[in-house]
Amino acid sequence: MDQAMRPQMMGARVSRVEDPRLLSGQARYLDDVDVPGMLEVAFVRSPHAAAEIVAMRLDKARQHPGVFAVMTYDDCPVMLWDRAEYDIGQPCLAHGEVTYVGQAVVAIIAENRYVAEDAAELVEIEYRPRTPVLDMREAILERPRRVHAETSNVFFHEEYATEGFSEAFDRAPHRLSATFRTNRQTAVSLEARGTAAMIDAASGRLTVYASTQSPHRMREDISNLLDIPEQLVRVIVPEVGGGFGMKANCYPEDIVVAKAALAYRKPVKWVSDRTESLLSDVHGRDDIHDVEVAFADDGKIIAIRDHLMADGGAYPAYPFSGAVGETSLAARVLTGPYDIAHLATVIDCTYSNKVPLGAYRGVWGPIASFIQEGLVERVARYLSLDPAQVRRRNMIRPDQFPYRNAAGMPYDEGSYLASLEDALKLIDYDGFRRRQQELRTQGRYLGLGISAFVEPTAMASSEAGSVGYESCTIRIEPSGRVTAALGLGPTGQGHETTMAQILADQLGVRFEDIVVLHGDTDSAPYGGGTGGSRSGPIGGGAALVAGRQMRQRLIKYAAHLLEAGEDDIELGHGEAWVAGVPDRSISIRTIAQTAYTDVKKIPPGLPIGLELTERYLPKRPVSFSNGTHIAEVEVDIQTGIVRVTRYVVVNDCGRLINPTIVEGQIHGGVAQGIGATLFEALHYDRDGQLTTTSLMDYLLPESTDVPRMVIKHIETPSSGEGGIKGMGEGSLIASPAAVANAISDALAPFGAMVDTLPVTPAMIRAMVS
Amino acid sequence: MPTEEARTAIELNVNGITHRLDVSPRWSLADVLRHQLGLTGTHVGCEQGVCGACTVWLDGLPVRSCLMFGVQAQGHQVTTVEGITPSTGLSPLQTAFQEHHALQCGFCTPGMLLTAQALLDRNPKAEEGEIRAALSGNLCRCTGYQFIVDAVLAARDAGRDA
Amino acid sequence: MKPAAFEYIQAASVEEAIQALADHPQAKILAGGQSLVPLMNFRLNRPGMLVDVNNIDDLATIAVKDAGLAIGSLVRHQRLVEDALIGDRLPILAQAASHIGHWAIRNRGTIGGSLAHADPAAELVALMIALNGTLVVRSHRGVRRLTADEFFLGYFTTALEPTEIIVQCEIPAPTGRMGFSEVVRRPGDFALAGAIVAQSGAAGWVTWFGLGSRPERFSVSHWGQDDGERHAMLGELATRMMLAEDEEYKRDIAVNAAMRAYRQIKEGK
Ligand SMILES: Cc1cc2nc3c(=O)[nH]c(=O)nc-3n(C[C@H](O)[C@H](O)[C@H](O)COP(=O)(O)OP(=O)(O)OC[C@H]3O[C@@H](n4cnc5c(N)ncnc54)[C@H](O)[C@@H]3O)c2cc1C
Ligand code: FES
Ligand code: FES
Repeated sequence: MDQAMRPQMMGARVSRVEDPRLLSGQARYLDDVDVPGMLEVAFVRSPHAAAEIVAMRLDKARQHPGVFAVMTYDDCPVMLWDRAEYDIGQPCLAHGEVTYVGQAVVAIIAENRYVAEDAAELVEIEYRPRTPVLDMREAILERPRRVHAETSNVFFHEEYATEGFSEAFDRAPHRLSATFRTNRQTAVSLEARGTAAMIDAASGRLTVYASTQSPHRMREDISNLLDIPEQLVRVIVPEVGGGFGMKANCYPEDIVVAKAALAYRKPVKWVSDRTESLLSDVHGRDDIHDVEVAFADDGKIIAIRDHLMADGGAYPAYPFSGAVGETSLAARVLTGPYDIAHLATVIDCTYSNKVPLGAYRGVWGPIASFIQEGLVERVARYLSLDPAQVRRRNMIRPDQFPYRNAAGMPYDEGSYLASLEDALKLIDYDGFRRRQQELRTQGRYLGLGISAFVEPTAMASSEAGSVGYESCTIRIEPSGRVTAALGLGPTGQGHETTMAQILADQLGVRFEDIVVLHGDTDSAPYGGGTGGSRSGPIGGGAALVAGRQMRQRLIKYAAHLLEAGEDDIELGHGEAWVAGVPDRSISIRTIAQTAYTDVKKIPPGLPIGLELTERYLPKRPVSFSNGTHIAEVEVDIQTGIVRVTRYVVVNDCGRLINPTIVEGQIHGGVAQGIGATLFEALHYDRDGQLTTTSLMDYLLPESTDVPRMVIKHIETPSSGEGGIKGMGEGSLIASPAAVANAISDALAPFGAMVDTLPVTPAMIRAMVS
Repeated sequence: MPTEEARTAIELNVNGITHRLDVSPRWSLADVLRHQLGLTGTHVGCEQGVCGACTVWLDGLPVRSCLMFGVQAQGHQVTTVEGITPSTGLSPLQTAFQEHHALQCGFCTPGMLLTAQALLDRNPKAEEGEIRAALSGNLCRCTGYQFIVDAVLAARDAGRDA
Repeated sequence: MKPAAFEYIQAASVEEAIQALADHPQAKILAGGQSLVPLMNFRLNRPGMLVDVNNIDDLATIAVKDAGLAIGSLVRHQRLVEDALIGDRLPILAQAASHIGHWAIRNRGTIGGSLAHADPAAELVALMIALNGTLVVRSHRGVRRLTADEFFLGYFTTALEPTEIIVQCEIPAPTGRMGFSEVVRRPGDFALAGAIVAQSGAAGWVTWFGLGSRPERFSVSHWGQDDGERHAMLGELATRMMLAEDEEYKRDIAVNAAMRAYRQIKEGK
């Protein structure tokens, strides 16, 4: 067996090559991009949720010392969604009206950000306020008015039912109903958004530095929206300080900055501050689901009916409406890992006078898991059954594969029941129940929440766009060292490491001899970027396919140069040799030199050089990971404070590329899930003012809020390349349900059941009083 | 039109080197470090003291560089992540961060390192609870903190053995 | 989030500081900057001049005064936590200060700044009211001594004149035994509700903070025989606090915090 059959790097806990630059302060993020003469932008943003713009006076701002230019819609008359997927497109700068607090109205371009903010205060805008549309249920009824006069508030409506739903539902022995709600949240990447644009004098091209997850998509958008030929736009993504789906969009500010650089022929930079970020990054979640469940005496769930609603904000975010994602995906995976035969869903996505809704890690997932696991919990409590037992009764069985759920989604084989059993063991379920009883007698309320989940990953279409494949270019340089490039847009996931691991095994070169490029449209092959948990399975798949191609080429070279059969060639550690005769070897370096400089020795039929690009399009439209989370909490009923005390995860994302990196992803997602369940909410007041515009109001989990987690991996390979499944979102999909169920469990003596996230101290106090 | 904002001449000692600079009094220490001195390892995540990404040492103690003005740092020793990085390779704490996968996007990392190093300098026996408490003022959106805590514990133990 | 422009002077002495305040009506004291600078970054506060008092060593002293302590306004929170004299004479102050924000915040923030800022959830404001401390304030017109009750007027408002600087806080040693408890969503946050209690003999007092427009102190004539009685008594006292509608839920939490603070005394912590 040669090295590729015995992978050494794939699956290994390799330390990341990205780290030294990040640890030493040498990494360059967007705001670290500085060129001589760079101007900075501050936006004047709408203070009203809904208003007509009556007049603007810009003279004072224009005349302010240090100001270079002041832009309005007239200077940048660009609409996002010009391509009419929806009836409404968002102007990059407000045009005649404002439709949410925080909408960019005027751009000030000045010597530095301090001065730009001074001038922003000098802009006078006269508004005629309108009644804001703020309530989802009202908005569906077109009350108090339409957000956009020309079109209905409901911008997406879809209905679905399995055949025979009504009969099955009506005949079921028991029915329960509940309304589930998640508040608005947002990604809050620690590095906020930003864009810098400049014309490259040498080539005359527009260079845009963008803190984005989708470099090629950004280039396409800038090219289309500003009508610049695509070859004249170069997008460079510097280090990105987190994205979580929020940085997959093309935002109005990106376009305005690019436009300013073009119009004024100056380098221009905008970096969002935290208030702007909370006011203008896409928001996520904001779902209301009216749900009914029908079930049998033994806890077997027969049917689920759900009216899914999501508040899409003032415009569909470009190019991915989070509201449509939240609902239409949730509707397809609402049954989770359970075999539930019948499903009926009605979806309504509405406009409102709030920030556009986009993607935040696990789009659809937290609400769908919250519902699916919340229903199981309710069924168990109603029938006085053990919640673990009800899960077992409903879980998809291994003998049911190939399996499609009630919405028609084809699941991958996984470890549905096994992950549940393992997680119960890890948390010592029976021991916990005893401890819980004991402590209750002392007035302490512990609870345990189970969340078994499925995670559809690597979907053909996600917030990262509708590019269903990924590309990998490999160039073995004349020295035998390897330069690879992919169309990914990592924001901390470590692709330079994981992709190099895959390639090292395939090419038989040392891991250290590979560099992985990404994020520069000049060097990276066209690709879909990072989002929707696609980079592992699809990006990794592309690396595998390209690596294998290159490997074949290296073998042909070696066989030719060593005068041996191709089947006898082995590769590893930068060498190729004849199996069993290690002395008959040739270095990859020599092969590379031959390929580039000694071209007469190239084996017949092979091209000059060692360079190729391969694309990988998975055969299946989606790849399902699965697992089980269990959270233990203690609820202080006297204060309403919840502490998560223990946490276990059993995760199955197929073949692992780097277990340590997978664990890091899980830890981070669980922390975000704790935030989603206990802390994070964006609040609008009655006038449509966002009242949570700082990190003193929008609370993120801190090191003292997140418990130590115990993780166990199960590897059920997918049928795709390398057996890899995606896993970037599962931890945030599963964890809110786990923590919420744990709270419900803790408060079972009070008959309480959590139905809204996050759960605040005030809500806990109300549940126990 | 160029600005007419008044500048003040200051001397700033950063990472052991004294710099003479003309600054506007309103420039935060973070902005002065980043944009005047090119020390971009200090990051800005909130400008209100909450996130900790801008943490630097003032005379050896962690402080928020977004809540100090550059002019105020005169007469003090400022240390940034660049200042705790050896001229070659990584410090033991930095190495522990790499080995324990204590960073993902890396944006919080310089602040984490400065807080953790200051803690270990003052309390070489810090327990997990103390480490978590000290780091509670440094937000990380990526890692869920566990591997950061593990890295600090490992650096502590390595220091103990040394 | 960049502050508006301002003039900046570094005062070398209290005299220089009060002169600057007298000469410049737009001037504001800059101490630790942990409350003022965020407000300036949000442009919610735009002083025309900042008088930086961080170099006035005279303001950074801790001394014994009568039975209590006299603490200079520039003493930083972390020093309140670590100082031996405070640990010895007024451990409740160290305990309260340890709950302020995070380490980096405590390394800069000062007691004078916290009191001048008068956040209703600030631990040090609560402690001053609880122990009925005295604030010594100076201006070019002279010195005033204000009790905490006179000084704290309400939500972020004090009796401090724009030309005045807090130079010192005098905190008398408590007469009884004390307990402190606060309820936070995340460690380091401003309290949702907190309580400082004192007990001497059967009586004592409770000071609640984090709810209402400023911390309030209430006398307790009898701490009660058992938890039930005590809870009822505190519940009754708590009804006297004026709360906004959205804070109503905190009333019971405050009562429970006071129960915990009292339990600390009983457990001898
Ligand atoms: C992230 C974060 C968390 C925090 N958490 C808490 C918390 O949990 N509890 C808490 O109590 N505080 C908290 N704080 C606030 C902190 O305690 C501040 O230090 C304090 O409120 C203000 O003190 P300062 O020295 O920083 O004052 P500054 O910010 O410098 O000044 C505040 C105000 O006081 C005035 N002032 C300052 N000194 C004087 C003086 N000597 N005489 C007259 N006026 C003066 C200033 O002009 C200004 O108006 C937090 C702050 C941050 C950034
Ligand atoms: S930028 Fe200073 S604490 Fe966030
Ligand atoms: S590693 Fe991204 S914020 Fe900490």
